[in-house]
Amino acid sequence: MRSRVSGAGLGAGIGAIALSAVLVAQAPALAPPTGDAKRGQELFEKTYKCYACHGYDGQTGNPRLVPMNRTQEAFLAYVRKPATPQMPKFVDPPEKDLVDVYAYIRSIPVAAPTPDSIPLLKGIIERRQQVK
Amino acid sequence: MGDSSERSSDGPLGRRDFFKGAAAGAAGLIVTGRSAEAAPEPEVAPAPPSVAVPTEAQDLAYAQAQAGAAVAPARVGVASGQQPASDFMVDVLKKLDFDYVAINPGSAFAGLHESLINYSGNRTPEILTALHEEAAIAMAHGYAKAAGKPMLVCVHGTVGMLHGSMALFQAWADRVPVFLIVGQHRNPTGVINLPHSAQDMGSIVRDFVKFDDETTTLERFAESTLRAYQIATTPPMGPVLLSVDADLQEEVIEAKDRPRIPELVRPSPPQGETDAVREAARLLVNAESPLLLPRKLARTPRGWDLMIELAETLQAPVDVGTYGSWQDFPSWHPLWGNGGAGYRADVTLGLEMSDMSALARAARASGRKTISISSEHLFQHSNIHDYGRYADVDLAIAGDAEATLPSLIEEVKKLITADRKRVLTERGSKIAAAHKDAHKRYVENASFGWGNSPISVPRMIAELGAQVQNDDWAIVSGHQFTGDWQRRLMNFDKHYRYNGDNGGFGIGYDTPGSVGAALAHKRQGRLSIGIVGDGDLNFQPGVLWTAVHHKIPLLLVVHNNRAYHAEVMIVQRMCGSRGRGMANASIGSVINDPPISYSGMAKAYGMYAEGPIDNPRDLAGAYQRALAKVRSGEPALIDVIAQPR
Repeated sequence: MRSRVSGAGLGAGIGAIALSAVLVAQAPALAPPTGDAKRGQELFEKTYKCYACHGYDGQTGNPRLVPMNRTQEAFLAYVRKPATPQMPKFVDPPEKDLVDVYAYIRSIPVAAPTPDSIPLLKGIIERRQQVK
Repeated sequence: MGDSSERSSDGPLGRRDFFKGAAAGAAGLIVTGRSAEAAPEPEVAPAPPSVAVPTEAQDLAYAQAQAGAAVAPARVGVASGQQPASDFMVDVLKKLDFDYVAINPGSAFAGLHESLINYSGNRTPEILTALHEEAAIAMAHGYAKAAGKPMLVCVHGTVGMLHGSMALFQAWADRVPVFLIVGQHRNPTGVINLPHSAQDMGSIVRDFVKFDDETTTLERFAESTLRAYQIATTPPMGPVLLSVDADLQEEVIEAKDRPRIPELVRPSPPQGETDAVREAARLLVNAESPLLLPRKLARTPRGWDLMIELAETLQAPVDVGTYGSWQDFPSWHPLWGNGGAGYRADVTLGLEMSDMSALARAARASGRKTISISSEHLFQHSNIHDYGRYADVDLAIAGDAEATLPSLIEEVKKLITADRKRVLTERGSKIAAAHKDAHKRYVENASFGWGNSPISVPRMIAELGAQVQNDDWAIVSGHQFTGDWQRRLMNFDKHYRYNGDNGGFGIGYDTPGSVGAALAHKRQGRLSIGIVGDGDLNFQPGVLWTAVHHKIPLLLVVHNNRAYHAEVMIVQRMCGSRGRGMANASIGSVINDPPISYSGMAKAYGMYAEGPIDNPRDLAGAYQRALAKVRSGEPALIDVIAQPR
């Protein structure tokens, strides 16, 4: 169902820039995840359907999941008892599943191409700037 | 609502005149929202047509082809000096300047149907063949907002009206006029006619029409028709219904017995009371941080211009809300938004805002003020709770907001001293800077997932915006399920750029509503775009045929997330709250097994289509090919496999 299209597909000039451009602040130093990211991806998409709100890569949707700033322990505590009613309570999943989901989210690239490297978005910003 | 009678957004006092006045007052420092590229503005230059505009000769040829034969008088069963009563009904309806009548045929209005095609020659109104009554009324709903006037709809007794009742409700909740005629057999005899008649046909939908009447005589038909039109188009607007007996339609009348057809008199919209408007102006001018909240304000281009003038005069931010509102303010205007982080409104003005209850409660608790100017204060009845909760605002002004704005602006201007103007200008500069930063951040967010598949929603929209940036375009669908990306990534700088959502939060409006609005824009040469969900499209796919058959130029982009996605999330929350896991959460909410081919569906109805497209690299080409069809005057559809939100 989902894939990341290669950087070369983003149009001339974007691919070279995409890898180096980091739009968002890096997450604070967190302990490395201990789970199985590949299994976590399966759980994210199919079992727990996290994609529904957060997008298939955790990069779109609302809220975006990257960069993941929570520790593994904080993440587990949050999904079992979310602070907002918009977030489903995941009270029943085994801890192992949530640890793997966390590992998957941490594996998602944080970097995004800057708008300047995407002609379409650069053009939008420029046209908006011209409105005084 | 828009106004198809003119190509530019200039009302009686043009947009250019408003800008001129604002700029003169502040030596160019006042935030105006003009594009630097565009200044100075041309003399009311109409946008060049983006789609092929039919000529009068083509229109006539088309209508005659639809009618099948030359217009001819009735020759059987009608003696000299006589005419079918339904011919008289058509003469009455012609008083109302209907361009179109959407129908799904039914024997209970066969007399009227025959008069429309043969007596009237299928001209003003021209028949739109709808494949479902819900589609017919939803088309009329979208059309009215874009055209600035109602469309006529005819449906069959009971069954046709029940099919159409959902769309009628949406128009009601959106405060949009639709003129509906339901035919019925007042004295039914046959096994089929009996269930298609009712003792009180109007009662079936009375909870969501503004007026209904059963027309038992031709004289009453004439008066009720004109009265219904008056009521439908006077704020607060709404759909109206006439029940017309089939036997009455099929009577033959002597010329001497034709009732008089009265003239249509249009009441002026209600305006706010003078002293109350003066008090509102005082509160707004003296406020440190006023906030303007227009909702269904701009019924006409004039309302759009007035909203800009009020905001620029006050140098106050304009928060148009989410998807419920119409196009009330330019989305890239520096005053667009809530003023930025830290802007805490001390006086909030709601304009045609149906529910200010939460705002009013919060304001009272902290000593801030709220004002409401709305025709909703004149609302007379509703079984539906669409009027919102009770709002104890500080100042409630019963009146149409658009009609009240001129006097409010005049009072505001009277109160602004030179010293005050300096303060306002400084405030406007801060708001403009905040908006510019917020917009930049929003666009930056669009880069996340830019190259991914399924395609991100902002990429789906940005690619589209790039293809139409030199066109005179209009988004004719709502944007309930695409967030705020449309208004952020595309410059909604004309009153007709956005046609609003469905009004009643019911799925099934966007596709037929888009077709209706596109029909209104066709004559203006505007390029219409509907971004519709796959869930929405499945309610009334037959309207694709109507768009093809009537050559309505429209690009439909299917935001295909293969689900009723809002429900996916809601059921997930319910599963979570009950601790029963997510394994079954998508049962009943997803539409993916088998996956539906929307391009195949469109092609079956004769429409150009491409998709499913799941690689963002393929979007631009698909849009280009489809837009070439639309610019030539045809509809086209692109199926995009997209992220859920």
